Amino acid sequence: MDRMEVVRADDDRDTYYINMGPQHPSTHGVLRLRLHLDGERIIDAEPIIGYGHRAHEKMAENRDYLQFLPNTSRVDYLSGMIYNLAYCQAIEKALEIEVPERAEYIRIIAGELNRISSHLLWLGTFLLDLGGITPFLYCFDDREKILDILDSVTGSRLTYCYGRFGGVTMDVDETFLENTAAFCTYFHKRLVEYDKLVIGNVIFQERTKGVGIFAPEIAARYAVTGPCLRALGQARDVRKDEPYGIYERFDFAVPTCEKGDCFDRSIVRMEEMRQSLAIIEQALRDIPSGPVMAAKVPKRIRPPEGEYHFGVESARGHFGIYIVSDGSDIPFRMKLRTPSFAHISTMPEVLVGTMLADTVAILGSIDIVIPEIDR
Amino acid sequence: MRFLKDIFAGTLTLLTGMRVTLQHFLRPPVTTQYPLEKLEMSEAYRDVIVLIEKEELGTHDCIDCQACVRVCPSMCIEIEGHRPEGLKRKRATKFEVDFALCSECGLCLDVCPTDTLGYGRDYDEAGYQRSDFIYDLLKPWRSGEETALKRIGEIEAAKAAERDAKKKAAAAAKKAAAAKKDAASTDPPTEKDA
Amino acid sequence: MSPNFVEIFGNPWLAILVAMSAIIGYLTLNALMLIWLERKLSARIQRRMGPTEVGPYGLLQTVADMGKLISKELLTPEHVQKPLYLAAPVLVFAPVVALCSLFPVSPSWVFHDYNIALVLLLAISGTNVLGIFIAGWGSNNKYAVLGAVRSVAQNIAYEIPLILAVIPVVMTARTLSLYGITEAQSAFPYILVQPLAAIIFLIAATAETNRAPFDIPEAESELVAGFHTEYSGMRFGMFFFAEYSNMVIACGLATVLFLGGWKGPLLPGFVWFFIKVYALIVLMMWFRWTFPRLRFDQLMKFAWVVLVPLAIVNLLVTTIVLKLI
Repeated sequence: MDRMEVVRADDDRDTYYINMGPQHPSTHGVLRLRLHLDGERIIDAEPIIGYGHRAHEKMAENRDYLQFLPNTSRVDYLSGMIYNLAYCQAIEKALEIEVPERAEYIRIIAGELNRISSHLLWLGTFLLDLGGITPFLYCFDDREKILDILDSVTGSRLTYCYGRFGGVTMDVDETFLENTAAFCTYFHKRLVEYDKLVIGNVIFQERTKGVGIFAPEIAARYAVTGPCLRALGQARDVRKDEPYGIYERFDFAVPTCEKGDCFDRSIVRMEEMRQSLAIIEQALRDIPSGPVMAAKVPKRIRPPEGEYHFGVESARGHFGIYIVSDGSDIPFRMKLRTPSFAHISTMPEVLVGTMLADTVAILGSIDIVIPEIDR
Repeated sequence: MRFLKDIFAGTLTLLTGMRVTLQHFLRPPVTTQYPLEKLEMSEAYRDVIVLIEKEELGTHDCIDCQACVRVCPSMCIEIEGHRPEGLKRKRATKFEVDFALCSECGLCLDVCPTDTLGYGRDYDEAGYQRSDFIYDLLKPWRSGEETALKRIGEIEAAKAAERDAKKKAAAAAKKAAAAKKDAASTDPPTEKDA
Repeated sequence: MSPNFVEIFGNPWLAILVAMSAIIGYLTLNALMLIWLERKLSARIQRRMGPTEVGPYGLLQTVADMGKLISKELLTPEHVQKPLYLAAPVLVFAPVVALCSLFPVSPSWVFHDYNIALVLLLAISGTNVLGIFIAGWGSNNKYAVLGAVRSVAQNIAYEIPLILAVIPVVMTARTLSLYGITEAQSAFPYILVQPLAAIIFLIAATAETNRAPFDIPEAESELVAGFHTEYSGMRFGMFFFAEYSNMVIACGLATVLFLGGWKGPLLPGFVWFFIKVYALIVLMMWFRWTFPRLRFDQLMKFAWVVLVPLAIVNLLVTTIVLKLI
């Protein structure tokens, strides 16, 4: 294309195309958004994905079930623990392996800590896109504490390979439990601070209220889940609707809002962090002692021929693992249903009519992770 | 009137935000000034795998079973071994890990039958070319290999002797029991025997 | 009355040369110091260290950065309109030097005391948007044009509350000369009698200098880098330089109008002047690192719907009160 052609006249209107990404400070990862603009208004938005494709599902067809474990964390690196444990739970359900109680409690604590760290990163980068650079640093400081806690038991900070079929690799000790309890106390105060600095800020509210409203029928058509759906008023949460692990023993609320704009999504996520803290505190109180690995785990993982599905609530929404097994060591097909894929598909419909500055706010508030879209 | 109230409320939130940043300004920074200050890694920290010394052997215990090679999802381990003269178990002669491919999953540690693999503690890995990341895990063990083999030989001999002694004792006990049974039995031979 | 600088030097051209050198020297030093201050302040607010390596407490970091910028290749992209592209950095910087000469730093340190100094200052500062617009237009780049257009609209919109906030001060002091306004604040600084005007002025000045939360023209996360996308090396440095110098001018004007300029006990005049100016600059930096950015239409709405009516009401009240006194 001739570089002098800056503006292309299209149909009588002076419209032009802007390419946001794949290298752009505020598309979260390598997303390319081709926007068709009329002045500041968007007429059409086309997300072009695939820049982060790493063929995880194809790799699943060439590795046996145990060897696929490290891949699971890397699909969505911000909820790496949740995805890793979800895969373990999927195979355990298929082979009917029973997980000891202590391992279940540890999984709950680790999963909820991961959820909090993912929401913290979302908050920091959302504010960064809106122009407030300071909360990003505060969120990462809090995240350091979570990562240090998880590092002390799993050895990794971001991509965990902590779960195994039948339990977890390493047991947690008293220091882990004490550190987690101390973190919970500390984080309650930090959430109040975030409310004062971020959520209560009039500029933040002006930027996010009334922006990016999802119509409920768009949400239904594109299978939107997670905080984006809860902001519309529908209290759907996999942990409550189809409980897995031992989530039914915990007492927590599913926060919802009404309008479904960026502000509501932010409120829902802040409240989810509080609920995660409640879950962690209950788990710390009730964790029993015992082994962390099931006694009888088959040497060769060979789910009987058939199809298995398992869904969990990740930080972004409903994550589903669908395994088609032909009775051998290696899965015939493994499909990973990631929530961000559904959310990015709604963008063409949601972004039409908004302004360019709102695009950034909307993309930030739906909390997408591009590697999860491309897998 | 509501216009003025909104402006006032909005300004108040801005001032609250400024107070939060002021409070943070007055607190000390949370930076660790690497490389002048170094961080302590946790016990469970995962870095390149290393061979751990087994106490009774005084050396590592890799028996070239290739279990870790088979389980590694990134296929980054290469092991070669031989059976030293006079010993029952095999011994590794080459153990190379291409760390650039390793994903720190820990599966090799899980499947090792002799539990001789563990994690290292260094995190300052930097190199100028890819071959810098092919680690030879046997390097710290090569110098003591001779004495190690001798020791293993002794341990195996001791174990073999113990096994022989047990076998003899068991056989002797069996004979004694059979003899006792013969002597204790007073039944004449029956027609069946003929 | 103030001393006449030209008389001291005799030859007017020599006076101009000395004045310009002094101003440019001061502005360079000022930019060096302000960039260091901004980095350290933002770092401490964000609980990190800021520059520490180059020089004690990182004081020479900006010198190193300037050296890096100067040593860079002055790359002129192929598709730009050369005359406009090359003229823009100069046009952005030129008004700043002229404006700095108008400030009464202390009773004896004035280059020339114009009796319409305030009008001159506001008029010349209105031309700095020209440089920004030419930079964006000459870059021949969608992002730059967007940034330039937004900047023009923003600057024009915020001129009005700025001037409306200045008029009550002029009415109270009964003179347009900056020296005279400072003299008129012998008893008390005008911020005590005109608090609303002071706040409006500060907000409008932040918007005029394109500082956060009004930094849409250089919004990094939306338009890559706004109107200076295509500039690299020292040309980019000039824009930065001009922005920090504009900050000094805006805060200097606020000091003269509302905080009493050089007035203050014990310390000599120019020390008080600089203390007040830099205190206001720290306040502007504090704004930047606390608040997110306003969206462009909200920015304009804020100017027209909130600031202008408040400024007009303030003007009316001042008029009535002055008439009654």
